[in-house]
Amino acid sequence: MKKKHSLSSKGWLWLFAGTVLLLAVLVAGFNICTDPFGAFGDPVMGWWSYNETMNPRVAKLSYLEQHHSQYDSYIIGPSSTSSFPTQALNRYFDASFYNMTMYGADMLDVEQMGLYVLDHYEVKNLVVSMYIHCAEIYDTEPNTLTYGMPCKADGSNPILYYGKYLFASPKYGMEKLKAWRSDPYLQQPYRVFDQQTGAYDKSRRDAEPIGSLENYLSRSAYSVFQNYPSGTGSISCLQPCMESLTRLRDACEEKGVTFTVVCPPMYGQYLEQFSPKDQDAFYNALAEVTDYWDFSLSSASFDPRFFYDETHFRNDLGSMCLARMFDDPEVYIPQGLGRYVTKGSSPRAPHGAKADEHTYTAQVPVLLYHHLAETGEGTDIISLDRFLSHMNALRENGYTTVFFEDLQAYVQSGTPLPEKPVVITFDDGYESNYTMAYPILKEYNMKATIFAIGVSVGKDTYKDTNQPMNPHFSLEQAAEMEASGLIDIQSHGYNMHEVAGRDKDPVRKGLLQKEGESEADYLEYLQKDFEQVTQAIGKTPTVFAYPYGATAELPAVVLHQQGIYATVTTVEKSNILVQGLSQSLLEMGRFYMTEEVTAEQLLALLSGKS
Amino acid sequence: MSFTSIAFLCFLMLGLLVYYLVPGKWQWMVLLAASWVFYCSAGWHGFLYLAFTTISTYLAGLLLGKLNHARSQLPPEQKKSGAERIKRKKKWVVAGTLCLNFGLLFVVKYYNFTAEALHLPLPSLNLLVPLGLSFYMFQSIGYVIDCYRGKYEPQRNLAKFSLFTSFFPQLIQGPISRYNELGPQLLRPHTFQADNLKYGIQLAMWGYLKKMIADRAAVPVNTIFGDLESYGGAFVAIAVAFYCIQLYCDFSGGIDIALGAAQMFGIEVTPNFRRPVFATTLTDFWRRWHITLGTWMKDYVFYPMSLSKPLGKIGKFTRRKFGGKLGKVIPTSIATFTVYFIIGIWHGANFRYIFFGFWNGIIITGSFLLSGPLIALRNLLHIRENSLVHRWIGRARTMLIVFIGRYITRAPRLLLAFSLLWKTVSTPCLYQLRDGTFMTLGLKALDYWVIGLGCVGILTLEWFQEQGTPIRKTLEKKSVFVQWLCIFLPLFILLVMHILGGEYIASEFIYKQF
Amino acid sequence: MNNRLELLNILTSVCPGVDFEKETSLVDDEILESLDLVTIVSEMMDTFDIELNVEDLLPEHFNSVDAMMQLIEERK
Repeated sequence: MKKKHSLSSKGWLWLFAGTVLLLAVLVAGFNICTDPFGAFGDPVMGWWSYNETMNPRVAKLSYLEQHHSQYDSYIIGPSSTSSFPTQALNRYFDASFYNMTMYGADMLDVEQMGLYVLDHYEVKNLVVSMYIHCAEIYDTEPNTLTYGMPCKADGSNPILYYGKYLFASPKYGMEKLKAWRSDPYLQQPYRVFDQQTGAYDKSRRDAEPIGSLENYLSRSAYSVFQNYPSGTGSISCLQPCMESLTRLRDACEEKGVTFTVVCPPMYGQYLEQFSPKDQDAFYNALAEVTDYWDFSLSSASFDPRFFYDETHFRNDLGSMCLARMFDDPEVYIPQGLGRYVTKGSSPRAPHGAKADEHTYTAQVPVLLYHHLAETGEGTDIISLDRFLSHMNALRENGYTTVFFEDLQAYVQSGTPLPEKPVVITFDDGYESNYTMAYPILKEYNMKATIFAIGVSVGKDTYKDTNQPMNPHFSLEQAAEMEASGLIDIQSHGYNMHEVAGRDKDPVRKGLLQKEGESEADYLEYLQKDFEQVTQAIGKTPTVFAYPYGATAELPAVVLHQQGIYATVTTVEKSNILVQGLSQSLLEMGRFYMTEEVTAEQLLALLSGKS
Repeated sequence: MSFTSIAFLCFLMLGLLVYYLVPGKWQWMVLLAASWVFYCSAGWHGFLYLAFTTISTYLAGLLLGKLNHARSQLPPEQKKSGAERIKRKKKWVVAGTLCLNFGLLFVVKYYNFTAEALHLPLPSLNLLVPLGLSFYMFQSIGYVIDCYRGKYEPQRNLAKFSLFTSFFPQLIQGPISRYNELGPQLLRPHTFQADNLKYGIQLAMWGYLKKMIADRAAVPVNTIFGDLESYGGAFVAIAVAFYCIQLYCDFSGGIDIALGAAQMFGIEVTPNFRRPVFATTLTDFWRRWHITLGTWMKDYVFYPMSLSKPLGKIGKFTRRKFGGKLGKVIPTSIATFTVYFIIGIWHGANFRYIFFGFWNGIIITGSFLLSGPLIALRNLLHIRENSLVHRWIGRARTMLIVFIGRYITRAPRLLLAFSLLWKTVSTPCLYQLRDGTFMTLGLKALDYWVIGLGCVGILTLEWFQEQGTPIRKTLEKKSVFVQWLCIFLPLFILLVMHILGGEYIASEFIYKQF
Repeated sequence: MNNRLELLNILTSVCPGVDFEKETSLVDDEILESLDLVTIVSEMMDTFDIELNVEDLLPEHFNSVDAMMQLIEERK
């Protein structure tokens, strides 16, 4: 009988086992290569902001294993820790900080991660940020892919730990690849961390304009503050929480590491969820362990604009806390912010109280002019007479003209503004500003800001077609005006005013992205335009007027990163400036000054009665 | 622990390892421990029900065994009177056990329904139906009746008996096994045999593929039945068709996994399905679908009832009254109806299921009564009884009857089932077939391909089985590469679908709560 | 042999078209279905005046005419 090339049952089982193994190896290999949680050091992509978003505990430690030599100090705690800006920390501590923020962290996570860092890296400072919620939970996170601790830090079984990530669903890796392929410039939900600092990437929040409280609360993202839910907190885990902190303190002492504890700011009503007894218990227990800076409650705690949810405060507030710790006179400090608590100090007294909004906000109108001529016409040309009547009205009614840098000084350093501040602005940079407006301003000793179009400086024809247009002042004339101290030349973009028919097609609408334009090209355009306008106006601009008032988030973020601290649009509204919130200088409204606006109407606008 | 969970696979591997490592005489204890772990992983409270049924039927078995023994020991002079006395006692034992167990089943599963249906002013109970309750209860009751009939000696060891009631592969959703078939296998030592493991793995793999199809087919069913207003009659029919696929793939897939898992331990469990798609009559369908429930009903309900004295009297009466065929049919029809009534409510406490039972009962008795005229019609059309045409007409007819039956069981309410049937005929809204509605049912194109190709695959394989081709033997003769493909492809498909279907939460067995 | 003829009569009236003398696995091959079986049993009880019950409904008792005859003889 001819023997067939058949397979015995044993052979079949080996084949089966081999196939299972092969598939397992494929899955594991894919998971190592894509490494969506950063458990294997992300050898291919090295995309830590993504990994840290998936699991901050695992990915941050993996990242530090490769990069810890860049850092000598660490700030650690649950996610609100992220709002102490790394730059400010570095400046005040004269150190190089890494932010070990972990969402949903309890004090066991903080202790384990802290001890690992202390034991394995060179550490100068260890800052722990903790708030009353840390006494509510302890050792809670389920051992899931996203919340699990790295086995190095919590001493769990490495086989189970690596097994979990080796055989995680490859869907995570595929999602990472998908995100990698289409990753846009703006911060995305799948990468919320800044790789270099370890803190949350706040580029979008920092470029988000903030004005009146009413407007802030009307945004869906911040609706939580509108009817803030009442709840009850309980500090049932106070003891283990403090024990963890004590162990961390002792380890720092032993190694000669500076140990600092801060209680980050909280939204006032959140803290009210805890009974006064619990609050006392927490803060007193903390004082027993170590001296600490308490920023929990201040007047800022009662203004939602400093927060984006009850425990997450804006970076500006974090900067102010640090300034308070280091007595920085340059920085405005909200009323009642910061208290240094020592073991001997009196029991905690409620120290933060709501401040009258008028004591830290200011209403500042901005006026928008364009071209001046003998006779006014349309929206953009105002007659000399009308302009003069406006200036007279301002002077006679006690208005004081200010620059944007005065507004910035008010917001950042708390420098007071004059009683009736007003900002005069001219868009485009027409020669008439120099020939007609400037002499009047000089005579009246009034300040104005001119947003010049870079490409038109000194020109009276369109760039591509040479068609004639209203003449614009030259760089020399600009310098002469600036030298007087009354005129501030700022940016209206270099080439952001293309007009159909007079410029080459397709024209861009203001600074917005053109249809079909790739993001890379657009970003390059924005960067190049900034460099060109810097050259054209002879200085690095810090204030920007959106051409045609057209705004979008991407250019707003880019401008913010280019160092533009204030931007203006063409929306007709007055502006609320909030001390301590630099975002209140963004996308400010301006009143359109045309020939039709009489001096009386102007005054009515300014007093907010029209 | 669901069969489709990774935890179950690990549990199974560990169980097999221990099972084949320990000495043969301890193997049954390993199975028992594994079964209890398996059942308790779903919660302790269910275990109490299982223990109750196990202990009560165990004691009943012991008692019946003793009585049977006593009867055989009777001196000849007392044979007649003593036997009668003992038989009465045995009847009491059986009746008591049945009352206890079915009483429990009734309270847990049917109490609320009955109270509501009869408008009884009783407080409603909020009891969780323990997993597999109906399955292990029927299995245990079968054991008690067999003991009553003296079919075999009862099991004297409680632990050994409880392995019979709780053997984990079949605990949750059947099949319903017989003690004389399963018991000895469970307790016998088994040496490791590569064949068993191989065949078990193959069968389980096939079951997993079916369940993967079922999980996808369930999506459009739930979408459409969740929003019946938005869909025309054609889509209702499509939903019912998907429901048929879902039900078969889910239930028979689960059974395949159960059988496969049991086979890995060297234990052969009675199959529960025999290619119901190819059934030529409704009776045939019920002999191919959920076989063990059907045979249970036949042995423990249909036969005893048909041969009982009351029905015998009715039979005599009807034969006298109507004579001939009709007279003979009436008693068996009563028994048939009872069986399908029980099958109906076995599926769930609801008027839908009761009517579903009637629907089957009506068709089966009807076809019995009409067999004469039907044969005449067949002869008139010159269709030979065993011809291909006759068989395919039968299959199509059976499929249609089953299809209509599924309307009844899947509709949210009984009356709605009728209006849905009417909607399918009266307002099919055929335009919906072409306006992209398919893509809004929650499935992607790939999923439809998976279901479509999967069904073709299942039908092809079953067709060959129906023709009598031994699939495994045929496969074994193929080259190593082909055999490897038959391992790799299913595993690969399962893996990919598992990954892609991450957003699908693998549905628990539909039959779990029955 | 009278009994045998009577039995065959019953069988052909219930299931026409089956060659009962040749078949030896009537139940196992599903030539006789449960409905037929019940009818046959009740007819048998009437015709031969015997007592049959559920326990007797085993396939081996009904697989062939011979087996059925044996059952009848036993119970008479």
